[in-house]
Amino acid sequence: MASGDQNVADVLIIGGGASGGVVAKHLTDAGVRVVCLEQGDHVDPSEFAGDKPEWELVSKKRWHPNPNRRDIETDYPTDVRDSDVEPMMYCGVGGSTLLYTAMWMRFLPSDFRVKTLDGVADDWPITYEDLVPYYNILDEELGLAGLAGDPAYPPGQRMIMPPHPIGKVGMKAVKGMDQLGWHWWPGSNTIPTEPYRGRNECVRYGTCSTGCPQRAKSSFDQTHWTFAIKNGAKLITRARVKEITVNDSGLATGAVYIDRNGRERRQKANVVIMCASSIGTPRILLMSESGKFPNGLGNNSSGLLGKNLMMHPFSAVAAYSEEPLESWLGPAGHTIYSLQFYETDKSRGFVRGAKWGITPVAGPFSLRGGQDNDPIINAWDDGIHSVFDQTVGKVFEWGVIAEDLPEEHNRVTLSDELTDSDGLPAPKINYKTSENTRKLLDWHIERVIEAIEASGCTGYTVSNPVRECGWHLSGTARMGTDPERSVVNEFGVSHDVENLLVCDGSVFVTCSGLHPTATITASALRSVDNLLQNRYNQRVPL
Amino acid sequence: MSQITPALRKAFRNLADIMIPGTDTMPRGSDVTLHEDVLDRIMELRPDLEEGFVRGMTAIAGMSAAEGKEHLKQNDKTAYYDIGLIAASGYYMDPRVREAIGYPGQVSNPKKPAPVPEYIANGMLKRVIDRGSIYRPTPDTD
Ligand SMILES: Cc1cc2nc3c(=O)[nH]c(=O)nc-3n(C[C@H](O)[C@H](O)[C@H](O)COP(=O)(O)OP(=O)(O)OC[C@H]3O[C@@H](n4cnc5c(N)ncnc54)[C@H](O)[C@@H]3O)c2cc1C
Ligand code: SF4
Repeated sequence: MASGDQNVADVLIIGGGASGGVVAKHLTDAGVRVVCLEQGDHVDPSEFAGDKPEWELVSKKRWHPNPNRRDIETDYPTDVRDSDVEPMMYCGVGGSTLLYTAMWMRFLPSDFRVKTLDGVADDWPITYEDLVPYYNILDEELGLAGLAGDPAYPPGQRMIMPPHPIGKVGMKAVKGMDQLGWHWWPGSNTIPTEPYRGRNECVRYGTCSTGCPQRAKSSFDQTHWTFAIKNGAKLITRARVKEITVNDSGLATGAVYIDRNGRERRQKANVVIMCASSIGTPRILLMSESGKFPNGLGNNSSGLLGKNLMMHPFSAVAAYSEEPLESWLGPAGHTIYSLQFYETDKSRGFVRGAKWGITPVAGPFSLRGGQDNDPIINAWDDGIHSVFDQTVGKVFEWGVIAEDLPEEHNRVTLSDELTDSDGLPAPKINYKTSENTRKLLDWHIERVIEAIEASGCTGYTVSNPVRECGWHLSGTARMGTDPERSVVNEFGVSHDVENLLVCDGSVFVTCSGLHPTATITASALRSVDNLLQNRYNQRVPL
Repeated sequence: MSQITPALRKAFRNLADIMIPGTDTMPRGSDVTLHEDVLDRIMELRPDLEEGFVRGMTAIAGMSAAEGKEHLKQNDKTAYYDIGLIAASGYYMDPRVREAIGYPGQVSNPKKPAPVPEYIANGMLKRVIDRGSIYRPTPDTD
């Protein structure tokens, strides 16, 4: 797949986020000439507000995970008129991991066999065991802090460093779980408890979800892009891709993008790898329609491009304690989690399950709903001082991540109303919460309340569901063996375009009830491995 | 150029004092100069809030602070929210207020994890382990 022409990249990566970083690092480790087009900028950790008094105020705008609230020109807006859930993301080097909380969990074996075990959706063409070697590499590269031996997982996962303290928040929640005899485990995070591979040790600012000012958290600009660039990867920022181009033989030839000065440019390549996330990737491929691919690139055989979007609907209960819990201490992700009700039990009236996680609630405005600021307004009426007296430092939250099943009507198309700052159509999101998901969330929230009561908390407030919760995006270019029922094969290769790969969460067949990035990146790494093994047989256009 | 006139500042001062009244232990809004340098700082950090602020404060000119608050709540939720956010976040950024509520802010706290966490020492985690594995292994599909 190498080319003698210096203007032709061996591999062109679209999107400089988590999956793009992993792909770039591992391809350049193997000597492949890589170019990446990323529409956002580099972000230096000093730009984040977590270590400044104005943190919460600024985070509600500049570092908000919803691009529609952030409203900066390097983002693309999303048309969410017909969606129950709003997608959350960040556009820049490191992608959404600049704002992720680095809760790092593998999917479970049953997640890959939903059809066989529960009679719904589809099985993946790969198993948990297929991904284990890749999960292991990523745990190491990111520096996983956690405790091995969780009985909710198959044995064998090695932790790289000890877990973070669970603090008073975690101990309070554990009290309830212990009394009920329910599963819990200290959270695993790719946040180092000691300096690790160029990153600093975490000092517990607790602001991970609005960017880590300490350069500790495993955002992929720090964990992978730094190394890929050292290896020689060419990362072009402020480069917004509008189209993947193809030749007469139906092979991808590169991309057309708009540069930071608004000029249209071309980048030629032998192989194109889509890493623009499960919203960005189908958007670009749909924009790349042509005579040969009238319904979007790579969408001839299945017609499924953009369909089966999954977003992990989420509900939460904030629990109030009388005693101070120092709940401003980080990390901001799960201090403990529970998989007690993860696996299917049909007697509950729904299939599949959810992961629960405890998160500390940091500053005065960080209570659920704090992102849209309702509590501030409520606080005026109830007496601002008494509200904050009851909440600051004394609240934690049980969050429930529901596994939503793939449904074709939940999809990404191109908006006919909204555009980005370059005039390209924004992605239009159609998403309806299914009855199974609704029942699942209601049932789980009832159990969460039992856990909160058992832990001796004095009160709670329920947010069920949370609308701005689409942190986990997947499913819009699913993998499979049958070209009529899937967009790519098990290695992310398009069934219709031999030198086009998808390596982000779009390839998920089902989404589990767990955080996705470990599985997105493990699957991406498996695809890279396959590409490298077959590099001399790869058909290329130029 | 900023449209925040001295008259709007004065009206904001009065509104802030009924939104955030003083108590025995807590200062009131104007005590922390919300309407002065704090307002300027917030506008620097969040220029997007100026529009709602100016619109809301202009609309309630001439009303008492209590009437103004009610008017905004009923008629202009966006301005009501923006003004509330300005007042509350300015207030809680003040070090005196933070001290009074016992909130240190998000600060560096480089404490090492305990070598043996409490939940291991007191046997709580062992009870989870003793209950045995709860996952479903990959089924044999052949
Ligand atoms: C607030 C928040 C918290 C989260 N917490 C967790 C967590 O704790 N654990 C976990 O596992 N996951 C978490 N996630 C999800 C995690 O961030 C994503 O799963 C992960 O980043 C996905 O990787 P990706 O490469 O698919 O996409 P991204 O990392 O989003 O990267 C995609 C990149 O593609 C670029 N792009 C898109 N379109 C174009 C275009 N047209 N031209 C050029 N570039 C383009 C974007 O700018 C972006 O940088 C969280 C997400 C958010 C928002
Ligand atoms: S808690 Fe740790 S990882 Fe999170 S922002 Fe603070 S230093 Fe960074």
